[in-house]
Amino acid sequence: MTENAKPLLEIRNLVKHFPIYSRGILLKKQVGFVHAIDDVSLHIDAGENLGLVGESGCGKTTLGKTLMYLEEPDSGEEVFSGLNIFEAFRKSDAKVMHDVRHGIQMVFQNPYTSLDPRMTVFDILSEPYQIHKHVPRNEWKRRVYELLRMVNLEEYHAERYPHEFSGGQRQRIAIARALAVDPKLIVADEPVSSLDVSIRAQILNLLTDLQKKKGISYLYISHDLSSVRQITNRVAVMYLGKIFETAKTDSLFEKPLNPYTIALLSAIPVPDPEHQRERIILPGEVPSAVNPPSGCRFHPRCPYATELCAREEPKLREIVSGHLSACHYSEKFL
Amino acid sequence: MSTNDDSQGVSQSAKPSTQRGASQWAVAWRRFKRNKAGLAGLFIVLFFVFIALTSPFLAPYPPRSFESLYQGEAGEAPSFKHPFGTSKAGLDVYSEVLHGTAGDMYVGVGATALAVAIGLVIGALAGYSRGGMSDILLMVSQIFYTIPLLPIILLAARVFLIIVAQGFGLTLILILLGVFGWATISFIVRGEILRVRELEFVQASRSLGASRNRLIFRHIVPNILTPVIVTSTLMIAGNILTEVVISFLGFGDVNTSTWGITIQEGITYMRTEWWTTLFPGLATLFAVLGFNLLGDGLSDALNPRLRD
Amino acid sequence: MTTRERLLDVKGLKTYFFTEAGVVKAVDGIDFHIGRDEAVGLVGESGSGKTVMSLSVMRIVPKPGRIVGGSITFEGEDLLKKSDEEMRRIRGRKIGMTFQDPTSSLDPLFTIGDQLSEVIREHNRAISKSEALEQTTKLLEMVRISEPGLRVKNYPHELSGGMKQRIAIAKALAAGPSLLFADEPTTNLDVTVQAQVLELIKDLREKNRMSLVMITHDMGIVAEMTQLVQVLYAGMVAEVAETHSLFKKPQHPYTEALLQAVPRIDQRRDLRVIPGNIPNLINPPSGCRFHPRCPYAKQICIDKVPPLEETDRGHLSSCHFWRTLDLQGA
Repeated sequence: MTENAKPLLEIRNLVKHFPIYSRGILLKKQVGFVHAIDDVSLHIDAGENLGLVGESGCGKTTLGKTLMYLEEPDSGEEVFSGLNIFEAFRKSDAKVMHDVRHGIQMVFQNPYTSLDPRMTVFDILSEPYQIHKHVPRNEWKRRVYELLRMVNLEEYHAERYPHEFSGGQRQRIAIARALAVDPKLIVADEPVSSLDVSIRAQILNLLTDLQKKKGISYLYISHDLSSVRQITNRVAVMYLGKIFETAKTDSLFEKPLNPYTIALLSAIPVPDPEHQRERIILPGEVPSAVNPPSGCRFHPRCPYATELCAREEPKLREIVSGHLSACHYSEKFL
Repeated sequence: MSTNDDSQGVSQSAKPSTQRGASQWAVAWRRFKRNKAGLAGLFIVLFFVFIALTSPFLAPYPPRSFESLYQGEAGEAPSFKHPFGTSKAGLDVYSEVLHGTAGDMYVGVGATALAVAIGLVIGALAGYSRGGMSDILLMVSQIFYTIPLLPIILLAARVFLIIVAQGFGLTLILILLGVFGWATISFIVRGEILRVRELEFVQASRSLGASRNRLIFRHIVPNILTPVIVTSTLMIAGNILTEVVISFLGFGDVNTSTWGITIQEGITYMRTEWWTTLFPGLATLFAVLGFNLLGDGLSDALNPRLRD
Repeated sequence: MTTRERLLDVKGLKTYFFTEAGVVKAVDGIDFHIGRDEAVGLVGESGSGKTVMSLSVMRIVPKPGRIVGGSITFEGEDLLKKSDEEMRRIRGRKIGMTFQDPTSSLDPLFTIGDQLSEVIREHNRAISKSEALEQTTKLLEMVRISEPGLRVKNYPHELSGGMKQRIAIAKALAAGPSLLFADEPTTNLDVTVQAQVLELIKDLREKNRMSLVMITHDMGIVAEMTQLVQVLYAGMVAEVAETHSLFKKPQHPYTEALLQAVPRIDQRRDLRVIPGNIPNLINPPSGCRFHPRCPYAKQICIDKVPPLEETDRGHLSSCHFWRTLDLQGA
């Protein structure tokens, strides 16, 4: 990851709000917004695994979907491999849309609903070839077997149906499907949360192997910070639609500079009875994204909040090289 | 690093076979076979279908044939020559019941097919499109759903009689039942599409670049068939019953052979010539029972909650 | 295991599910004990039998499941011999339970106040409505619900996940049981809310001197909340030990694998991959159920079910080779 190389993906000032309606008998009226993503900017370098963490309602899943134009953004820019994505989709630029559908793929959280139960594994994995017709039919079998091998499954699995597989295997099939189009970036949305603990390592290691072997970049979305620590190179922390902190993984976990991150890290139980640490228990719950708090969105729960925090929203700024934080008092935590 | 073979499904084999695995239909069929009531329903339905198809050959008398009257055999109790007896007007009840089978199967299945065809299209559009179009279609479905079926048909029958001076035949009943019965199907289809649309495997195909048509017909529709199939089966039973009621109330076409017509003819003399109403009545009972049992059996077999 | 006064004593419990596909041997011979004022972790993944075990003790195993063998003794009495009426008086009053999804323990049709008051009055017929309401408000304070006076009028769907779970805990504790089964109480909750709920459970346990069975798959929660741990695998006991001893030096290959497969937040390290899958409980592997996935398995592991033995470190281990294996901790 050289500093001079252009990033693979860059998002600038992304905004995505979901309207809320109140339904009458015939007509409906819009009564507010869910501020799912509020002015988010980030970038992913080639071959990098960026972790995106946050609690429910922070907007991380929406970000993953919007990035791939599975949801339509309200405003903002996205540049992927030099192409201006949002503009191209708005103009229905077929070539760019095609490149995006090949360049960015997604692996979903629930392995039980991410595979069409009516299709065999062969059908599922050859679907991209059926859609785009860029691979001749007599090549399909070879390619499908190759994909299965890449995810440590056997050739004979191709003739089976999804319901004949376990959760971990289904997830591997889902990963194989994502690989079928040779993507440069995979958005992995909580890929192991639905799996048993002893199976998770299989999938996490597989993702890392593929990253090494094929140079694929990842956006690894998860609420499980322990797995994020294992496999990512950089991490971004989200809260209520905003990015609160982003840094190299080790830096973030060893020296977090944002009170929310600090509280988040301290909340996680460590599998070591000898481990002693100061636990910060945050009051209250994550507030609703419909009416986010004024100023810094975290201020009502922050143990360090001052009057400034309630008034003025802190900008995401670089505190130390490569380590950004959105807090008025980040320097305190150095 | 390869893993041990680890299918978690019902099939326990660790043998690597290249034959196709068990599709969901195959699994459902296996489950269906274990359901005795459902199997009974299936046999009854198949039996009636068989009769309906072969009635011209099985029935000794053609439809609406009053020959028995001319032979002085009207109003006779069941005998060797007339296994179900003859009506006061001279119809051979056995033949009429057989022809009626064809008539009621025609109406029952035909009307349902029409209702499903319309309901699928409207429901799919309502479920997949967003905004105004979806709301309008929903409203249309709601209107059609609340229109009372029976009074409309009875009214139409009367009007038709007055205008064209003859009964309107089975086809018109079929059309009316279909045209006023599609709303239930469209609600089901719409609801299912709304559910399936957001499932991840549809999103995954979208992200692979699948066209809207491919998404609807290759992915969504095959996954919503289950409730449609079950409802259709039960709808056939309902339509048959409705036909019987219409004819029984005297609004049917006397020139057609249906169970309802035959029952209606015999109702006045039920005390004495009980066979004219009994046999078509039993036929109706078994047909409706058969379709209901079949529908229940299908519902259990296809119900995803029972899946391992 | 020291011989303290045993509050709950489960021996050789067998609970099977008689399904269309076959007999699922969810719990196949499990021993479990807990004493007064103890916190024991019941650890396992899906299919381990941890939930079914607690449902068996409460005798609320859903059909097609049935307890087919073993004994359950609580406060010296045999629970399997109790009538339905007697079990109803024990549930809630003596033994409480919370579930992973708090929505299922709360009735959507009644307000929080009504539900909690009902539990209180169920076990104390003499109490009046207003007294019950007072106690309800105190209960909500105990589980740190803000503005309890207002909350009693809320319906469950008006509350967040964290609040619902805390209220579910309050409901389980309303009648003052001496034993609480907490089944994955925080799995569906956000990280920061999880911390709140765990702290709460810890405090309540200390204040009320209640015994706690913490059912979880999260080794971090086990490390924090328990003094003793029981590790289950595929319906059988793998290992039982004091918590810090288990983490430092496990004496069963499954425990070792589990500890090494779990990522940690305080360090980066290679994750150990456990090959294969959780076994099918209709036709479980012969002998030791872990043998298809165990790196140390030998022929005897396939042939003979390993007995649960006491080890040199005071653990109980069901591995043929605990004597010779040098297993690594977390």
